[in-house]
Amino acid sequence: MLARSCLRSTRAFAGLRNGAVHISKRAASSSSSGSAAESPLRLNIAAAAATTVAAGSIAWYYHLYGPTADASTPAEEGLHPTKYPWVHEQWFKSFDHQALRRGFQVYREVCASCHSLSRVPYRTLVGSVLTVDEAKALAEENEYDTEPNDQGDIEKRPGKLSDYLPAPYANDEAARFANNGALPPDLSLIVKARHGGCDYVFNLLTGYPDEPPAGAQVGEGLNFNPYFPGTGIAMARVLFDGVVEYEDGTPATTSQMAKDVTEFLNWAAEPEMDDRKRMGMKVLVVTSVLFAMSVWVKRYKWAWLKSRKIVYDPPKTNNIAPRR
Amino acid sequence: MGFWDTITDLVEAATPWATADAEAPAKDLPEETTADTTTKEEESTKAETETAATEEPAAEEEPAAEEEAEEEAEEEEEEEEEEEPVDPKEELEEECRNSKQCSPAKHHFDECVERVTSAESEGGAKEDCVEEFFHLAHCATQCAAPKLWSVLK
Repeated sequence: MLARSCLRSTRAFAGLRNGAVHISKRAASSSSSGSAAESPLRLNIAAAAATTVAAGSIAWYYHLYGPTADASTPAEEGLHPTKYPWVHEQWFKSFDHQALRRGFQVYREVCASCHSLSRVPYRTLVGSVLTVDEAKALAEENEYDTEPNDQGDIEKRPGKLSDYLPAPYANDEAARFANNGALPPDLSLIVKARHGGCDYVFNLLTGYPDEPPAGAQVGEGLNFNPYFPGTGIAMARVLFDGVVEYEDGTPATTSQMAKDVTEFLNWAAEPEMDDRKRMGMKVLVVTSVLFAMSVWVKRYKWAWLKSRKIVYDPPKTNNIAPRR
Repeated sequence: MGFWDTITDLVEAATPWATADAEAPAKDLPEETTADTTTKEEESTKAETETAATEEPAAEEEPAAEEEAEEEAEEEEEEEEEEEPVDPKEELEEECRNSKQCSPAKHHFDECVERVTSAESEGGAKEDCVEEFFHLAHCATQCAAPKLWSVLK
């Protein structure tokens, strides 16, 4: 199509050129009076036709390929999470460990009834979220299998720091059965596992509207949440003002709890973040110093070569006979 | 941990009288001694209280009613305190929804809700307001995001 329109335009240009030739001929000869009256009309017609063809072909091309075709509606896509200015996502900032502590409390009291956190052992909580004694006390609240004893029986023992956080359900099937067929995902890596990361989790937790917008279809047993792809989510709103009572007296509003638990989940997914940022800073500082030193050493070593002056001193021409 | 801490740690580790603790230093020792003293004190005070116990109930009855009233008042206050946390997100987003910035989105959403509800009352509605809701929610949350983060801890 494009090629055809290009051809047309060249032909139109050819017509223009012919007209120009005619005009020049007429100016030169001034004898043929018959073609002189026709040439401006034909010229105008050719120009108009070429323009309409070109414009029409562009329009047709746009009609065919211009508008984008969406395979899914915005509702199926889900509302993109709003960006929030997370402090811990800045380059020189660490996690707010008070927030992590509060977030872990929210996880334990609210989320843990359905969601597991299977990749986090108690020992990683020590020092970053809890103290040793708190973590030990928390681990001892749960029972774990021992190694087989002399008779081959497996007994129960209280948890240790090396144990992992217990899951609310024995396996995925039990979790599905208990939750009307919907599997609550493991939250260990959820911040890394979803588009939008922290923003998505925060928006999802706080984004439940009081009632779905008019005309929206909400499936049976589902709840309307604009941020969940498809807008029908099996998890109901769980965070309400004052569900948790924080030990440090922070007002437990919905958004505060969501923020804390999101930061905690980000810690669960990236426990190495603080160290990673510090290490990155060290690497940048040391390598920049070393780079500056290497530049200086290179210039120092090459100084004699770069600063030399090459002078051509021609031999004296006294002995040679003068040129003509 | 500073450079000097490392040196002092090394020195402490090398000295023969130093003790190495795997965990935080035990606080039990002073507590045990105080516990001993308190038990002795308790024993001595028990005798006194036993003698006084006969006199106390009569004295307690009078302020008991007042205390109950005070407790009730305190409970009410506590309940009020518990009700106090209001989500700033809702308020900020409501402000943003009504602001000039989001007025086009709100206008479209309101119009859509009106149209769809009237269509539903007449018969089946052939559309929903999800897209309009998305635009409004996007505008409101984006407008409220920095304000919300300045309020939250």
